[in-house]
Amino acid sequence: MMKEQVIITKISIKRKGERKHFQIKLPKNTKFIVGVEYGGRLIDHSDAVVIRTPLPDPFTDPIPPVGTGTGGAVGTGSSGATDTPTAFFKRNQLIGELKLQSCEESNWFFSVDVFASDANLGLGDFSQSGFPIKDYTHGNKRTEEIVKVDAESTIIQGWYLDSFGKSQKVDIKYEVNVYVWINVEE
Amino acid sequence: MLKATKKRFDIKILVANSSVSDTFELDKNIVKVHGILVTSDKDDLLYYRGTQKVEINKEEFFPENYESKLLMSGINVAPKQRYYDLGGVAPGNGLVKISYKDLDDGRTVFAPYRVSLYLDCEMEDEL
Repeated sequence: MMKEQVIITKISIKRKGERKHFQIKLPKNTKFIVGVEYGGRLIDHSDAVVIRTPLPDPFTDPIPPVGTGTGGAVGTGSSGATDTPTAFFKRNQLIGELKLQSCEESNWFFSVDVFASDANLGLGDFSQSGFPIKDYTHGNKRTEEIVKVDAESTIIQGWYLDSFGKSQKVDIKYEVNVYVWINVEE
Repeated sequence: MLKATKKRFDIKILVANSSVSDTFELDKNIVKVHGILVTSDKDDLLYYRGTQKVEINKEEFFPENYESKLLMSGINVAPKQRYYDLGGVAPGNGLVKISYKDLDDGRTVFAPYRVSLYLDCEMEDEL
């Protein structure tokens, strides 16, 4: 009988631009790697800039309604360039790069840019309700990235490169948790 | 006849950087557990500080240090899709154990808070 299980690996980062090589050991009865997800936690930010989600706060940053420019009434099709919401887009804070490789096959089977949060979570909200948009109130359901990799050798090679400390130009201590979902045979 | 039901179990976190463990019992007529969800009365604390282990029928579904944020859903998610899908687990002895750990991450100020564990279950009608 096959059963799903998750293996958690912590990567601890202490210096800016730090590069880490790590291994994830899987149980001997592992058949497949079926999914990967990640999370993280700030450990010490005394010298660092606190990770803030630069979301527009409806109390302080009112977003002008789309289509109310000089083009006239909504629906006339004449609002033109004033409707382009490029100014509202905010850049997500890049934390680092994570890559995983199986011993069974060449090349990475998983590669992702690790971001702190979705800075544009509130972009599609036109309700103007005054409810501050945060990850923990409006965030989407997290699901693992589905992969299908043979796991006969029970070892995964991992690589992580810090971008957060590098971009802030300070040493920031944080942890990245890598969750590897596996199928095990009972 | 089978019908869907939701169960809620609460634990209270009163001290910062502490662990709280509790075991709850499901009703005897529950035949399957389909999903799991965690919420809190101070959801920023749960999101940034929380990790938990969850066992059903002494079987570990989420190991220690599994972050709570991975089991949370915001109001942008449709109500019927908010639960993490467990795929219809048989509850066995009906015991659900949660071991929750609070850990400071520098972005939040601790205040006592409640953690609620919701289970999406299927139960037999009582005769």
